[in-house]
Amino acid sequence: MGLSTYLTPSGFLLPSIHSAPPFFVQQPNPATQAVVTEQWTRLVLSYARHRRLFFLRLDDAAAPTGEWAEVLHNERINRAPLPPHLALVLAHMVAKGLAAYEPPRQSRTVLLHWRLPEEWAEVLHDWAVGTGQLNTILTFFEIAEPEVESPLVGIPAPLLRAAIAVLARTGRAQAISIPDGEGVRFFSGRATK
Amino acid sequence: MHRRGGAGLAGLERLQQSQRSFATLSSQLSRAQIDNLHAELAHFRAALTHFATNHRADIRRDPTFRRAFTQMCAQLGVDPLAGPRKGGWWEDALGLGDWQAELAVQIVDVCVSTRERNGGLIDMTDLVRLVSRMRGVDGGAITEDDVVRSLKALRPLGAGYEVVDFGDGRKMVRSVAKELDADQMAVLAISQAHGGRVDAQMLVEQRGWTPERARAVLNIMLLKDGTCWLDDQDGPNGDGVAYWVPATMQWGE
Repeated sequence: MGLSTYLTPSGFLLPSIHSAPPFFVQQPNPATQAVVTEQWTRLVLSYARHRRLFFLRLDDAAAPTGEWAEVLHNERINRAPLPPHLALVLAHMVAKGLAAYEPPRQSRTVLLHWRLPEEWAEVLHDWAVGTGQLNTILTFFEIAEPEVESPLVGIPAPLLRAAIAVLARTGRAQAISIPDGEGVRFFSGRATK
Repeated sequence: MHRRGGAGLAGLERLQQSQRSFATLSSQLSRAQIDNLHAELAHFRAALTHFATNHRADIRRDPTFRRAFTQMCAQLGVDPLAGPRKGGWWEDALGLGDWQAELAVQIVDVCVSTRERNGGLIDMTDLVRLVSRMRGVDGGAITEDDVVRSLKALRPLGAGYEVVDFGDGRKMVRSVAKELDADQMAVLAISQAHGGRVDAQMLVEQRGWTPERARAVLNIMLLKDGTCWLDDQDGPNGDGVAYWVPATMQWGE
């Protein structure tokens, strides 16, 4: 029995380790578990990027259908990570800054950083410059649900807030509170602090 | 009372005299032989160097040719690896010392980088495949033979790299300095026959071990050595326990 890669219906190529039963099981040997955790981290982030998924919940491990099913369930070998195992992987990702508990002070749901806030900041600023929206006030809604398709579609508010904070540090954006929510104003990159 | 026979002082002297003559003659003869041998050796060395220089490119590029050449060297009692240490004529003629050392570095690289995954035990064909990939396509073809020779070159460093032979044509390279005992070898052999999977029941049935012995060996490999991985969702009900040995699993690309 050989372990091979697998192309999911959504067009994602699962690595061959995904067809190895012990990959889904929490390993008692810490060195082995470190390998497993690292592989899961990489897999979760690349799948999230592939499907533009921003959140991962522990409950996703128990759901045989749903947006994470292709990765969290391997029905060909009938394996899925148990919630405590997935929690371990998520804790590792949070510790590495590759995810954040959202909302904070719980550990069942994470916001995935398949782009780091610093990377989102650049994407955001490039978009604002490219669409000629410097110096005007934009609402979070206008950014996450734009009329024209953009790389920022669906970006959750906490991630947007973090990206704006990064830009604010270099004087390229300013967070603004508006009557019905949050807004932001972007400035040209050349502006001095 | 002089007698001209063998006894007495003069006789002793004559005996010594003739012994000295024989000794001189003998050393002359052996010197001639040694000179002759030296000449032959020089001749042989020149011929071998000539051959090696002429076919240097082939030796480095073609694994089959390299194997034939090293076998020839072994029959002649010449060690291709000894060259660089003694005077370096071999190194000059062939550059094989460099080649071998470079290969050894790549082997160590692969063994170390896969160690966390396989606990320091890697299948020979996997190792050859990974090293070949690292070397790229251009003249990088290597064989098990080359790996074995490179590992031999590493031995003086005491790194503990060793080839484990299962006797059925399959070999593994062990890159951590620990002994594989007979029980662990048995586990490896069984897992190898089942695509990497092994459980206590198989060891009890196929080796006649007690369940305690089987579990003890598997636990050492799992917890202490990291040479196998745990699967506790095994079986139709998903609650069985099986062990997987990464070194004997057939990994796709």
